[in-house]
Amino acid sequence: MAPKVPPQAILEQSSTAAEAGHGHAHETPPKGMLRWLLTTNHKEIGTLYLIFSLTMFFIGGIFALVVRLELFQPGLQFVRPEFFNQMTTMHGLIMVFGAIMPAFTGLANWMIPLQIGAPDMALPRLNNFSFWLLPVAFGLLLSTLLMPGGGPNFGWTFYAPLSTTYGPPSTTFFILSLHIAGISSILGAINIIATILNMRAPGMRLMDMPLFVWTWLITSFLLIAVMPVLAGVVTMMLMDINFGTNFFNAAGGGDPVLFQHLFWFFGHPEVYIMILPAFGIVSAIIPTFARKRLFGYASMVYATAAIAILSFLVWGHHMFAVGMPLVGQLFFMYATMLIAVPTGVKVFNWVATMFRGSISFEPPMLFALAFVVQFTIGGFSGLMLAIAPADFQYHDTYFVVAHFHYVLVPGALFAILAGAYYWLPKWTGHYPHLRLSQWHFWLSVIGVNLTFFPMHFSGLAGMPRRIPDYALQFADFNLASSVGSFIFGFSQLLFVAVIVLCARGGQKAPAQAWGDHTDDLEWSVPSPAPLHTFETPPTFHRPAH
Amino acid sequence: MRTLLVWLAGVLILVGSSQVALANGWNMPVGVSSLSGEIYGLHMTIFWICVVIGVVVFGAMFYSLFRYRHSKGAKSANFHENTTVEIIWTAVPLLILVGMAVPATATLQKIYDPSDADLDVMVTGQQWRWRYEYLGEDVSFNSNLATPRAQINGEEERGEHYLLEVDEPLVLPINRKVRFLFTSDDVLHAWWVPELAVKQDSIPGFVNENWVRIEEPGIYRGQCAELCGVDHGFMPIVVQAVEEEEFDTWLAERKEAAAEEAMGIDREWEMDELMERGEGVFGSICASCHQPEGQGSPPAFPALAGNEQLIEDADWHIETVLNGVSGSAMPAFRSTLNPVELAAVITFTRNAWGNETGDVVQPSEIAERLEE
Amino acid sequence: MWEVIKSVLAAFLGVQREQQRLKDFEEGNPIAFIVTGIVLAAVLVGVIALVAVLAAG
Repeated sequence: MAPKVPPQAILEQSSTAAEAGHGHAHETPPKGMLRWLLTTNHKEIGTLYLIFSLTMFFIGGIFALVVRLELFQPGLQFVRPEFFNQMTTMHGLIMVFGAIMPAFTGLANWMIPLQIGAPDMALPRLNNFSFWLLPVAFGLLLSTLLMPGGGPNFGWTFYAPLSTTYGPPSTTFFILSLHIAGISSILGAINIIATILNMRAPGMRLMDMPLFVWTWLITSFLLIAVMPVLAGVVTMMLMDINFGTNFFNAAGGGDPVLFQHLFWFFGHPEVYIMILPAFGIVSAIIPTFARKRLFGYASMVYATAAIAILSFLVWGHHMFAVGMPLVGQLFFMYATMLIAVPTGVKVFNWVATMFRGSISFEPPMLFALAFVVQFTIGGFSGLMLAIAPADFQYHDTYFVVAHFHYVLVPGALFAILAGAYYWLPKWTGHYPHLRLSQWHFWLSVIGVNLTFFPMHFSGLAGMPRRIPDYALQFADFNLASSVGSFIFGFSQLLFVAVIVLCARGGQKAPAQAWGDHTDDLEWSVPSPAPLHTFETPPTFHRPAH
Repeated sequence: MRTLLVWLAGVLILVGSSQVALANGWNMPVGVSSLSGEIYGLHMTIFWICVVIGVVVFGAMFYSLFRYRHSKGAKSANFHENTTVEIIWTAVPLLILVGMAVPATATLQKIYDPSDADLDVMVTGQQWRWRYEYLGEDVSFNSNLATPRAQINGEEERGEHYLLEVDEPLVLPINRKVRFLFTSDDVLHAWWVPELAVKQDSIPGFVNENWVRIEEPGIYRGQCAELCGVDHGFMPIVVQAVEEEEFDTWLAERKEAAAEEAMGIDREWEMDELMERGEGVFGSICASCHQPEGQGSPPAFPALAGNEQLIEDADWHIETVLNGVSGSAMPAFRSTLNPVELAAVITFTRNAWGNETGDVVQPSEIAERLEE
Repeated sequence: MWEVIKSVLAAFLGVQREQQRLKDFEEGNPIAFIVTGIVLAAVLVGVIALVAVLAAG
């Protein structure tokens, strides 16, 4: 019979990998700080990315808690509107560019070489460079908070002319930091593409790759396509602010709407950059704990590609209220509604994978299941937002805030947490502490839904976003959101505890930490994964039925 | 089992909250305009479609989680694709979407038809107030937040319409088609009144159109919906919809008052008169940036109290107020305020908070400069 | 050629018979699939735009 694609891989290289783990052929690495500064090892750089993103996650989280504290009840209590606007802006920028994106890049650094049987990333020095650009970029960004006039206060979407003519003096530093973060993303994406296309184990075809690798391959192309657009638009801002051009200044013949077109041409694919790798993680975890192969592997790959292509056609749905012509509104409405189809396919596939499986509820699975439910809720509100006439009522309200947080926090972030719990045994050699993990999960689920679900109601009832104070009828919803956010925020400290405990010790994990129902290559190397793996490429076998 | 119960409780909460969502104050208002009911209908249709899909998908998921538990000895099956099923679950959503797109398109076409309007109102967003101009009627005014700062800072008890009250509401007739023209003097704003189902960005250099036909008299409140700077949360909108005859009377009165004001330009004004008028203008127009005591908030908003350039150079002061400072947040007020208001506020700032220049700037002087 | 277009359309929908997919991967020329994919993506944009123009009247 003809070979089946995708195949069940049979692995023969465990012994070679274990041997390679001794790293006999390697020079002793520099010690202390220098070792981390100069490392070109994909696992160490992956770890750096993950620690960096966790740090940023807490900084961005503190900003979010300042916002929620001020919104706890009507009136101005804790911060002035000037600072409130800086907090909402910095929260958005830090979470998008500093927490979610580097977390996925960290997972990619760790797992892509392991999943395709490569010894390292294709361009290790570039890899080191892309990481170390990030602390520079975000150090610069955070320092703007201390500058005269304060940091960016114009929202993470930095619409001109609020961010140009009317921006604080520190805006130029903000632009520079976005440039640096953008370069880091582009270099990282190039590295990932080069690795995936050139360094797969002999015999592994594209359609044999785990979905996490596939989703990252597609995400990388999105990054390369849109990051230069972001760089372009911030450069135009830079010119407007410092060199007297009038790209976005209406008084000089410029066009403020052009800014939004450019920003969202970057911004919408950016949204998918933050969710596609999450699909990949969940598509690895659900089959493992359902003890059953992923349903519709090929359609998952196609759906990811379809979402990526459609993501370039829908930016206008962020701009339904700017006064586009009717044809434009209709085009973007139809294109946006189409995205529901491939997204639906993915959810159906995950459910079909669980159907007639043999399901257990370890921590990674809990987070992955919560992801499916909560991401779908975010998808539903997205579908509602796609209906342009109704969007006139939703636009720029807390309904939108609820929507994108459902996709990004109970969605993308939960997938990242799921991935961390799933791969922690591989990284540290120990299982995460079960009780603590479960507490972390349940407190997170309760906190996150208490935070974001009431925002649907406050938005529908008429509360605009980005306001430091609100009318009295929104008080109850905001109270609930604030209580939820504090539960959610503080329960993330449990996650830090889990990681620290797991790194220090705990129940030993074998190579195949989650059983033998998954045949992804990372489970063929010992736990913890030695610094150097797959120095001799494993041979990838497709089973003959 | 316990895990499962918690999951079930979660589903119940979701279903329960979707029920509560239909209650008043938790949902989009049905509204009072000819189109708002239609938009509400679209909203509820898509909402219920989502609920049905959600029940089916989550139902199948939770059934699987419950029925095929590893702890109950479930053995996994070995299927991983089924072309028929996949075609069905691709085609069915496609059909649902087409079914949804048809009524949405029809409503959008109506929204995009502002023709044959009975009344044109120009709405201009400014940091941080709205300016309304009844085109062709010579009536225009600014609409500022009326909630006292003391309520915002918690020094006074908050009123019923906290943050949603203005000094002068936009008065509109019912049963007439009102066309709005939106623009902005500075940054982006968005004019939104949920009950009227109108939300449109006001953008510098652009004029956007939208329209409304209000069907019930009443007072409808909304807010700026596009981040526009520090006081974005403090530029509400109040629309007072009145019977047609009442509106005509009101408009005639306003026209008369405007004409009277125009007469005031030519006469000589006393210092005290100008100071009193100027204090009012400063409070509603200037104080949001330059602060009530003229202390400003540098570097973005310079102090006026004790400002040397202001005190020494009256000509520069007038020029700045009339034409703004390009490249900064200071707008030109030449068309926002009338000559009396301009003269009053300039006189006020030249003599308040210890500036004590003793200068009196007459409205006639301003009117002359405006004609240059 | 028609075979390639059919396969690409199937990929757009995310549904394909396993046998056909195997055949494409064993015998097909990847360049043909990529070019057809790009062309059909452009056609998709054109179709949505056309529908929007017609609907807007």
